Parts: sequence; structure tokens; C-alpha cells
Amino acid sequence: MYRTKLALPFVAAAMAATMTTAAHADTTLNFVGTESPTTWENVIAAFEAANPGVAVEYQQIPFANFNAQIEARVGSQDPTIDVYQADTPRVPALASRGYLQDMSSLGDRIAEVATATEQSAVSYDGTFYALPLWTGTQLLYYNRDLFDQAGIPHPSDDPAERMTWSETLEIARTLQEKTDVEFGFTFHQVDRYFQLQPLFESRGEGSGLTGDDLMTPAISGEGWVDVATWYQELFESGLAPRGVSVNQMPDLFINGQVGMLYGGLPQIRRFNGAEGLNYGIAPVPYFEGGEEVTSTGSWAIGVSPHAANPEEAMAFAAFLTLDAEGSRLVSESTSAVPVNAETYEAYRGRLADMAGGIGDAAAILTFEIQNTAVPRPRSRGYVRFEEIMNQAFSDIRNGSDVADTLSAAERRLNSTLSRL
Amino acid sequence: MSPRHTYLVASAFLAPAFLAVVLLRLWPAALSVERSLVAPNATSYSLENYTYIFSDPVFQNSMLVTLKFLLIVNPLQVAVALGLALLVNTKMPGIGVWRSLIFLPIAIPPSVSATIWGVAYRPDGPLNAMLTSIGLEPMRFLTSPDQALFAIIMIVSWVGVGYWMTFLLAGLQDIPKSLYEAVEIDGANAFQRFRYVTLPQLRRPLTFVLVANTVANFLVFAPVQILTKGGPQGSTDLIMFQIYDRAFTMGDTPSAYAATVVLVSIVLVVVILQFRMMERSEP
Repeated sequence: MYRTKLALPFVAAAMAATMTTAAHADTTLNFVGTESPTTWENVIAAFEAANPGVAVEYQQIPFANFNAQIEARVGSQDPTIDVYQADTPRVPALASRGYLQDMSSLGDRIAEVATATEQSAVSYDGTFYALPLWTGTQLLYYNRDLFDQAGIPHPSDDPAERMTWSETLEIARTLQEKTDVEFGFTFHQVDRYFQLQPLFESRGEGSGLTGDDLMTPAISGEGWVDVATWYQELFESGLAPRGVSVNQMPDLFINGQVGMLYGGLPQIRRFNGAEGLNYGIAPVPYFEGGEEVTSTGSWAIGVSPHAANPEEAMAFAAFLTLDAEGSRLVSESTSAVPVNAETYEAYRGRLADMAGGIGDAAAILTFEIQNTAVPRPRSRGYVRFEEIMNQAFSDIRNGSDVADTLSAAERRLNSTLSRL
Repeated sequence: MSPRHTYLVASAFLAPAFLAVVLLRLWPAALSVERSLVAPNATSYSLENYTYIFSDPVFQNSMLVTLKFLLIVNPLQVAVALGLALLVNTKMPGIGVWRSLIFLPIAIPPSVSATIWGVAYRPDGPLNAMLTSIGLEPMRFLTSPDQALFAIIMIVSWVGVGYWMTFLLAGLQDIPKSLYEAVEIDGANAFQRFRYVTLPQLRRPLTFVLVANTVANFLVFAPVQILTKGGPQGSTDLIMFQIYDRAFTMGDTPSAYAATVVLVSIVLVVVILQFRMMERSEP
């Protein structure tokens, strides 16, 4: 009896705690993505202030695991994801499998803020399935101190004076000879199709997927083998690092261990914050005699058709992307390029400030988006294509036989795409 | 208590465990079998998923890699665990510290040990530093298709041998001293003592260790998913990772169900065979 009396206050306290937390928010929206939580902090706070009774919980998932999480949770009709970041090239694959909520009700608002290209980036089969959030471009980042040490003139930031790959690799070799830098050049997103697609497109080899519905792989021809061998040679020759993962690449550049980094525009914010790093930017290289091609396309926002709170989820997704205030709050927390036309102008101004001294990032961005950007193939099989290509590139980087690897990947693609 | 009453009480105590077995084991297994018989976009049952995976070179490779892995890792781990158990089966002062140190790796979550070993295996990591400091060539470890599987075997064994050692150690300590004394009177040397007393007396713990170790090794997943993702060139594509890849990376759940059913069937057959083998020589 003494024990029961002692237990009562604890039970009462526990009940009170659960009741107060339950009363705190009537609805909790679950939002998942790959971005750092700081990107969404301000916009979430603003949404919660404007919608009392709704709380938004954000969960960051690493990019390498993100696809699997969406597949596991949205794929099993789990209501625990309401809103999630949807990679624009994956929209056809996700939509065709019923992982994205139809966004036709917001069609007019989407058309107001996004260009025709960006509208098609969030559509499948003529219907909107996601809300446009960001786009992007890639830059060649170079370490000015190392260039000065080696006596190499700084490359121009004018897209009209874009360097070729031969020139770039020559510079990389000179850097390694004349300074004590470990590596002359690296890609940021090594082994990823997103990063390497421009190489193949620049040589006129296409995206790797052909056919009316882009479900037929074409990656084992001579052209593909040539370019992939060129990629392998970068690592074989010691110009670029093996065994270093994507996440560790920016650190290599910040620490002065690599002379040039081919990476996305958002890295500017990170590199600006690095003490002692004196760097500049230039447009990314292209193959002489080939096309000037750059990657583009970035994240969009999707709503799960199995969301526990569909109405609030749509409202939040629209606030993040289509609403002027919401879009602005997101844009000020990250250096990703906003698609929303109203927000883009303010972004360009901020970009000019952020990039002051390193090169005219805004001019490069505008030029690339308008002239050289090639989006990833919009295929129902894109998710499987990308996963298999990334594995193939990883094997090639590690020294496997290029022709064999590409042929095996093509057979594998034929096998798995036929199941869709 | 009447028999009926005893029966009711026993059922009540068993009910939670029984419920767990049905909900967490039998029902998902039945679901897997049912789902594996439905091809994508099909409405009727067929064996298409099975013909697909058995004709898929990627799945065939995964089966071969898993077989190769098991043929190496099972005898290796059991032999090392037995060796360690014999070594630490003494009353030396401080032997408890050694036993704890050998056992310790199992207390670390597999994802943590995989990540740390990943750092050790880096081209510029401590393992290569040790090798070069004694004049050897640096190794490629996880980036080489010839070395990666052995690198995984190292990680898995480092974690597992301490754990299996404790069972064998308990088994060793259960062997009556009188048996050893009897055999020594007959003039047996150390090797004969081991072969004629230790091994037969260890039959039960060894069976348990062999079976449990085999099952555990069939299900190795964390080091592959964190470090190699089945590569390089599919050389570490163990069956559990292959199923995960099919289900969640490729999103091809029907073939993943089929592969799961194949895996469970194989494990069942292997375990039954192992039990039979260990039973046979009993009088």
C-alpha cells in the first residue's frame, strides 16, 4: 500500500506531461529531406506562426539513403511522411508509381512563378506532381594561391572564354608538379550520374537513355567507352583522388589538398566561410569540338498521397515554394538557386554580394541556365537508371575494365527496366 | 492443480511469445511467399519472379559471392573462437580482462564498427600506415574487387569471434576433469586429449555455435551497406544486401520477395543439415 501511494504522484505527473504535449499541437506535419535543418528553420517557424495548431517536424536523411527511405516509407503507404523533397528527374518515376500527390489544384500558381522548362521538370504525363523549388548550375572552383604559386594565370569567369578539358587537365598536372598540392582536380559528386552526364552529352553521346519513352539504355557504345575511360584515367593517373567520398570532397578543396573542384553553385557559401581559402570561379570545362553542356535541375517539393494530414501538407508545400514570403525565407537560408521568379531577382542580388571578388557567379548562372543546361532524362525508369549508373561509375573509378562494366550495366538496365 | 488448469496457465504464459512468433515471423513469411508469386503489374499467381531472379546474372553473382563468403567465414570463425576459448580457459590472474577485451567488439553496434573499420581501410588510413612503416606495399582493401570481400570477412570476424568464444568457453568449463585424468592415465598427449575428450564433449556448444554463426553470416548486411554497397564490381554483393537493393534501391519488391523466400529456404536447409550432421555420430 505504501508503494502504491508513492507511485501515484509519478503517474499523475506522467499523465499531465502527455496531456500537455498532446495539446501543444493538434496536427504534426512530417517533412523529410536531405538538406540541413537550417535551410528550413525560418520558413517552418513562419508557417507555424501563421497556422496555429500545426507543427512541422523536419527530418534530415543523407542523400545516399534518401531514395531507399522514400521507397520503404511512401512505398509501403506509410502515413508518417507528409511532405518530402523530390528530385526533379525522379518525378516521372515517383509519379508513375503513385508516390506523389497530384498537384493540378495548384496548377495556376505554379504557372505564375515557374518557366515552361521548370514546369515540365515537375510534371509527368502532362500533370503537375511536385512544386518547383530549386534549380542549379555547376562551377569550376580553383584555388588562387596554388595557381599563383605555380605561376598559372587565373581562368576567366566569362563563359565566352570557357576552358577545354585538355587545358584544364594540363593546369591540374602543372599544379601537381609545381606546388605540393596532392591532387590537381576533382569532381565534387564523383561517381554520380548527375555530375558526369555533361561529359557524355558534350561528346554528343546522349544521356544514356533512348527510345520514345526513354526506357532503352544506350551506354555501351564506343563513344561512351571513350568518355568513361577518360574519367577513369583521371584517377588512374593520380590527378584526382580515389577512395574519397562525395562528402569529403569540399573539405579537400578547403584544406588546399586539391587545386580545382567541379561542383555546384551552393558551395560558394561554404567556401566563403572557410578561413584562409583564397579561391575563384570559372565556367566548367567542355570537350574541345563538342558541345558546351552543364547539369541542371535540383530538388522540388512533393506531397505523399498517403500523408496523414493531406490538407496541411499541401498548404505547407505551397508555402515553401509558391508563396512569396515562404519562398523568400527559404532562399535566404541557402545558396541554392530558386525557381520562383519573384524570389530569383533578390537571389541574384545576394549572389552578387556573396560572390564579390571570386568571379561573376550571377552572370555564369544566367548564361548556363539559358544556353548550356541539359536536364536529366525524364524517364519512369530514371531512379533505377541512376542507381545502376552510379554503381558502374564507382567501379570504373576504382579501375574496372570500362567496356565490360558498361556492357554489364546495360544488360542489368535492360533486365530491371523491363520489370516496370 | 488439475491438468486443465495447468494447461490454461501454461497457455497464458506462452501466449505473448506465441503471438510474437506468429505476428513477427510466420505472418510476414507467409506474406512474402504470397507476394513473391505475383509478378509486377500482374493479377494472378505465377513463378515469374523466381524465373526472373534465377536468370538474372546479378542475383546469380550474389549467390556465388555469398557461398564463397560462407565457405571462408564459417570455419574461420568457429576455429578461431575455439582456439581463443582454449587459450583463455585458464585460471591465470587477469584472464578476465582478456576475455572481456576479446568479447568487447560484439557490444558495439555493427554500423559503428563498420564505419570505424572503413576509416582504417582508407588508402591513407592507419592499416596502410602500419603496412608501409614495415616496408610493405599499401593495399587497396575496399576499392579492390579481390580484397574487398576479405576486408568484410575481417570486420565480421573481429566482431563475432569473441561472442562465439564465450559459448565454447562455457562448454569447455563444463567438461569434467575426471575425463581428462582418465585419458591421461592411458598415456594420451595434448592432441589426443583434445580429439578424444574435448571435441566430443563440446558437441552441443559447437552445434549451437555452428548453426547460429551460419545463420548470422547469411544475414550480414551492415558492413556491405555502409562500406561497399555490394561493390567493387559486385564482389561483396552478399544476399541480404542484394535483397535490400532490389526492394529499396531499385524498388522491385516482387523480385525482392522471391529472393527472400529463396534465402529463408536455403538457410532452413543448411540449418537442418547441420543439426543432422552433429547428431549422427551420437551413440
